[in-house]
Amino acid sequence: MRPWHEECQAIANLFTDNWDDELLRGNFVDLVLQLAVEQPLKTPFLAAVVLIANGDKPEIVDLLLLKLAGLVEKKIAEGEWRDVKLYLKFAACLQGCLNGDGVFPVLEELFSRAVDLQTASSEDTIGTEIVKIILLTIPYIMATGSPEEWAQKAADLMEKTEIIAGEPHALQALIEPYHRENADESQQTQSLMSLLQTQLQSEANNGWALSCLPRPWEFPLKDVEQQSKINNAEKHALPSINIPQTVVAGPKPLFPEVYISVYSQQDVESVPPVTSVASSLIRDALLDSINIIHYNRNVTARQLIDLDCYFSPRTFAPRATPFDRLRDIEPPKSTWKPEDVAVDAVFSQLFLLPNPEQKLVYYHSVLTEACKLAPAAIAPSLGRAIRFLYRNAPQMDLELSYRFMDWFSHHLSNFGFTWKWTEWVDDLELNNLHPRKAFIIGAIDKEIRLSFARRIRDTLPEPYQVLIAPEKDQDSPPFKFANNDVPFAEEGREMASLLKRKAPDAEIDAVIEKIQSQAIDREIDALVASTDVFVTSVLFVGSKSLSHVLAAIERSKDRLADFGAASDAARTQIVDAVMGFWSIHPGVAICIIEKLLNYSILTPLTVVNWALTVRAGKTYGSALALEEVYELVFNTVVKVTGRVRQVVVKANSPDGMTDDETLAQETKNMRSLFVAIEDALASWATGSKDETIEASTGDGNSVREKQVQRWGQRWLRVFKRRSAIEEAFLVEAAKEKERRKALAEELASASGDVAIPDAPAGEEANGGDSAAVVA
Amino acid sequence: MRVQRSTIERLDRPSAYFNRPGNKKRRYDNKDQRDADDEQRAEQKQDEEEERLKNATTLYVGNLSFYTTEEQIYELFSKCGEIKRLVMGLDRINKTPCGFCFVEYYTHQDALDCMKYIGGTKLDERIIRTDLDLGFEEGRQYGRGKSGGQVRDEYREDYDEGRGGLGRAIAAERERERERERQGRDHDDGRLR
Repeated sequence: MRPWHEECQAIANLFTDNWDDELLRGNFVDLVLQLAVEQPLKTPFLAAVVLIANGDKPEIVDLLLLKLAGLVEKKIAEGEWRDVKLYLKFAACLQGCLNGDGVFPVLEELFSRAVDLQTASSEDTIGTEIVKIILLTIPYIMATGSPEEWAQKAADLMEKTEIIAGEPHALQALIEPYHRENADESQQTQSLMSLLQTQLQSEANNGWALSCLPRPWEFPLKDVEQQSKINNAEKHALPSINIPQTVVAGPKPLFPEVYISVYSQQDVESVPPVTSVASSLIRDALLDSINIIHYNRNVTARQLIDLDCYFSPRTFAPRATPFDRLRDIEPPKSTWKPEDVAVDAVFSQLFLLPNPEQKLVYYHSVLTEACKLAPAAIAPSLGRAIRFLYRNAPQMDLELSYRFMDWFSHHLSNFGFTWKWTEWVDDLELNNLHPRKAFIIGAIDKEIRLSFARRIRDTLPEPYQVLIAPEKDQDSPPFKFANNDVPFAEEGREMASLLKRKAPDAEIDAVIEKIQSQAIDREIDALVASTDVFVTSVLFVGSKSLSHVLAAIERSKDRLADFGAASDAARTQIVDAVMGFWSIHPGVAICIIEKLLNYSILTPLTVVNWALTVRAGKTYGSALALEEVYELVFNTVVKVTGRVRQVVVKANSPDGMTDDETLAQETKNMRSLFVAIEDALASWATGSKDETIEASTGDGNSVREKQVQRWGQRWLRVFKRRSAIEEAFLVEAAKEKERRKALAEELASASGDVAIPDAPAGEEANGGDSAAVVA
Repeated sequence: MRVQRSTIERLDRPSAYFNRPGNKKRRYDNKDQRDADDEQRAEQKQDEEEERLKNATTLYVGNLSFYTTEEQIYELFSKCGEIKRLVMGLDRINKTPCGFCFVEYYTHQDALDCMKYIGGTKLDERIIRTDLDLGFEEGRQYGRGKSGGQVRDEYREDYDEGRGGLGRAIAAERERERERERQGRDHDDGRLR
């Protein structure tokens, strides 16, 4: 393999040798700029190619800078902050061939916008994002040549950013990944920004060594001629970049970020420590690639496996070094395992609150592919991550605990369900309310849902067998009315046979009337009794598969709607019947509830009330530790908030069809749902729930009571955050609407005088061949 | 305006199966000319198909085990979004699952995400295949093979436990061979005695 400076030189020469090809010139510029935002790990190498080409054909840099400046301007105007960062990173790598202060003036102007925003509002997130971009661009400038040259400029800028970076953001408490028992302030995870500020400060004190960054534009001593050619090549002015007075948040919601690592509690450092700027620079570069290349997980995984190629040599230990052997590595050699760094980066997204950029399943798929590409290297790293997460599950935010469970079961399903379960055997002794035991129970259940009980039983050691009840082997649950001891058994069987032969409504009505009059005689709720018989019979008739039950519901949906509308208790009974009938396969129950919500047979409030009051009440709070109960409530909330967002987007679109009334109604429904959830959970969290008091053994301090309270608190945090995030979304949406309105008015008054933004660069398709050269 | 091509291949495009180029192969004396034409034609074809699928919300899912249930499919595919409808592929004759299905989402984006994140991963311990589809129509749920299942299961030479063992046509052929052998052996036996 050729060293990278030679590789870059070969590409640069290939290009300058064919300089007369005008098409090639244009394509080269477009491709370089495209790669800078599509495969950003390659940015320093792209810059090296350009710097070398500058020695022979300096005109190319002018062509490139002109387009680059236009793109930065455009992306700032659109609020596409990641692209802004990536173009600036590329520009920073070119600092060596820029006139005057190069990229610094742009950073300074950006900073002044950040200050305005932060002064205007303490909840501003754009200013924070801008400061993050500035801090992440500085190191790439400093790595270009002699750090002394820019040290003062950097120091001046960092002195200014400190005020913003050091201040904890108002929203930070919400997105904290840990939810510790007896938490005190000092344990709060540091924000990415304040971390970065400190790291850069210490790097400055260290003469800007930045030893992890690649410098492919540096040639070995024997190539002194080539080196001086680069250094003495023509310098170019960076065209002015116009930054609008008001900047926008852009299409992606911005939140403060914190740095998390699943390898932070080890005796040997297998990832860069948070004291080193390498932790932030490598993480940032990897995250950009991971989130950008969502459309090809194989390439993402490949770049992660190859990550040591994109940073300076000796940044990492050799690939696939077993963790136990890291101890034998003599300083100053690095003990950073490239696999750990890669896996850590993906987990940081899986555990990003409120939500990562892509769907969670994308990050699952990246880990799966990485594991397939380099099983010997990646699998042990994943194993250590799993152990860390399992150990820390009780202290994690509940939403993240469930993300872990979901990933874990999905991942195992791709690798033959093999895991060293024996090492957790001792935890089987814990009661089911213990978070680790709850994790084991939930994870096994999720495995079964992706597979089947018999298969999963085969993968588990003996002590775990009791966790999979024999009933789990049945594909269809039993019909409770087959047993004569159950009230209304006869009517239940009759109802089922009527439904099976699709009997006319009148016959069904007759049975319902019979049940109701009997119920009245027995002094029980007639509506609830008849609802239970009817719903359970529908479920039984459709028990062969999901399509059967959906067809059965479709056939009876009018009657189900009538039952649902009859009373709160009857509506709740529908949920109870579904969850009861399918208790052995809760995945099916959850699916059915979802469809009943779509049909508006159930309301979100009913589902939430059933879970947090009825079910949790009957079990004295134990149900709060069950995965399926959480999933039910979480999915319901996501459905409702998703609906509001949909309406908002429609209302904000230029041809806004949705009236404000619909939006107001949907928002009101969402808010009252959150209020109901928070009310129900608050009483569990404080131990003031009637059932808690009822089951209490005395002073309210038993282990069990404390466990239930803790579950209540963890639940509460999740849904308070959800609610706060939706409120923040509504505020942003309202702002955006105002902005658009103002813009439209401006347009109307100054018709014709409005500057039209430049067309996007690289419209023509770039040749795949030229991409391959750089790749 | 053409959409800018990425420097990395996308997994959320229709597969080669959908883009099967026309079977007419023109002959050219000049190889370069032929390649250029072929490429242009293939590209044009691809553009047309992509145009037709640009709002697709349905996926064809293949290489399922005959034993994989709807519930398992829901469990996995819901990770990309709520499922609107699931239609299991059935053996035309027995009406039992025959190893494929159609998954319909509410949005095009969910279908694309499914191509990117679920196609090529495992369900029920088999690598499954996903492909964007124009949408389910009645009748398409049945296998089109001679014996009721999918065509690929007629002549499959490997033994696939999840898909009924050997290809059905081949299994039938082997069975006949064995029968002949048995008769032959009986005959031999008789002669030896």
